[in-house]
Amino acid sequence: MINLGMRNFRLYVREKGAVFFSMLGVFIIIGLYILFLGDGMKEGAGDLPGKEGLIDTWVMAGVIAVSSITTSMGACGVIIEDRVKKRYKDFMSAPLRRSQIVGGYVYSACLVGGLMCTLTFIAVEIYLVVNGGALPSVLTVAKVLGIIALAVTSSASIVLFISSLLKTNGAFNNVSILLGTLIGFITGIYLPIGSLGEGVQWIIKCFPVSHAGALLRQVLMEDQLNKAFTGMPVEAVDQFKEEMGIVFRFGDTTAEPEIHVVVLILTTVIFLTMGVLNMSRKEK
Amino acid sequence: MDKIIEVKNLHKHYGAVKAVRGMDFYVERGKLFAFLGPNGAGKSTTIDMICTLLKPDEGEVIIDGFYLGQEDDRIRAVIGAVFQESILDDRLSVRENLMVRARFYSKDHRGIRAAIEKVIKVAELTEFIDRPYGKLSGGQRRRADIARALINTPKILFLDEPTTGLDPQTRKSVWDMIARLQKEMKMTVFLTTHYMEEAAKADYVIIVDHGQVATKGTPYELREAYSTDLIKIKPMETMRGRLIEYLGEQGLESVERERVFQIAIRSSQRAIELLMASREWIESFEVIHGTMDDVFLNIIGKEQKEND
Repeated sequence: MINLGMRNFRLYVREKGAVFFSMLGVFIIIGLYILFLGDGMKEGAGDLPGKEGLIDTWVMAGVIAVSSITTSMGACGVIIEDRVKKRYKDFMSAPLRRSQIVGGYVYSACLVGGLMCTLTFIAVEIYLVVNGGALPSVLTVAKVLGIIALAVTSSASIVLFISSLLKTNGAFNNVSILLGTLIGFITGIYLPIGSLGEGVQWIIKCFPVSHAGALLRQVLMEDQLNKAFTGMPVEAVDQFKEEMGIVFRFGDTTAEPEIHVVVLILTTVIFLTMGVLNMSRKEK
Repeated sequence: MDKIIEVKNLHKHYGAVKAVRGMDFYVERGKLFAFLGPNGAGKSTTIDMICTLLKPDEGEVIIDGFYLGQEDDRIRAVIGAVFQESILDDRLSVRENLMVRARFYSKDHRGIRAAIEKVIKVAELTEFIDRPYGKLSGGQRRRADIARALINTPKILFLDEPTTGLDPQTRKSVWDMIARLQKEMKMTVFLTTHYMEEAAKADYVIIVDHGQVATKGTPYELREAYSTDLIKIKPMETMRGRLIEYLGEQGLESVERERVFQIAIRSSQRAIELLMASREWIESFEVIHGTMDDVFLNIIGKEQKEND
């Protein structure tokens, strides 16, 4: 499994186009934010103290969440390639179990996702610190890495399942491009969730990556939120958190961080099972 | 007789298309075995089934004593396969490709290293061993594919049209390599081809058509049974009439072109009789032994006519 996983990883890293395109979703978000959306959002935040840093951090937390899915999608390209070029014949005629082959794909998707996501985190922190932010504490870094691990396994499972349904390179490319461009919307990264309609809010809340985004915001924005809202009523903080999708509200209850963790773990289990079952069926 | 592959009543349908319908044959250990047939005759489907890639609808296959469908992993350990498609990774070097594949079969690092060194030598890969597979020429790729198939020192080597699409010189070198492997490593080689001259070099040939065995035998037997010898006789100018007269008496049909008579003869024995009888009148002659092309065209062509 590790043998094949490393092979898949190498194949991904050596195709520079795939690496670039798997980061495209991230670049789009950053580009849009810096060029268009950022100023508007900062104005909308009124006269909150330290609002620049707050909003920057808000977007960058979302960027990390998004990169977990776009990069692991890039790593899944090899699944389609193996199918299209009939490379699976080479594996199937060797004494390998199907679970090892599928495990290799999961391994490389998680490895690529974890690595690229961590790199994104480092890049994001550099950006924030250069723009006057504080260095994150060791505890924050540890928490972020933990969330990245959860986000990547969940995202990798989802894209693995999607890839198991695709039969051609063309289909895969279209889906990746679609995912790369839409992901910012369906996870509520471009715009604060509070500014969207009820229906769209639900779509965002149903999407597992959004939960990773919420967790990351909670962890990364904690200090800044405390500073910005000192001396203000609790309701004001809560309302801001809800508007910005730092917390999700379901009916009358606000989701605890544990809920997000459970969502990520559950989606991992569900999609991984479906993906593995789908790929393990023997050709008839 | 030591049968390393035994196939009984093999069937495979793709929907309504019956790709293989009742294939029966066996392969002797250590022989070079050719599976010959037109495109779409069911050659690749049969190989895919024997290589455990496709599940047969019906029938029994025993490979080196293991039953297909029950002991697939044991079968996979003793076979090596070269498929029609190039199936190594373009962006990995030949060595990396071989390394990844060698680990499918063994965990022993030293053994893996030794196996790779061995196949590099056998398949003559030294020159391009560290180049990406995707940048190799067709012939180099094929050699790398064959090296891949040999990485687990298989008892049986399957080659599905190994020389298709290669230039004549490369084709010959690949073919020589296969023949050498079979002799030196005492390997059973099972290959499909649609090149007659390749099939003619095999120890045993099976001709398949429409998913069934059309005929089988050694190339010599097949030529004897399905092809005709051709005698070309050029009589001395004055004796032309005598020859025509004699051929008429014997009821032999001939075609004359620039005083060269072409006569189709069923057996070599008859050829000798004819030459003996006409030895006084002959200026020059030539006997052309039947070729695999004739065999193939006779069998496949006849069936196609019947079907039309």
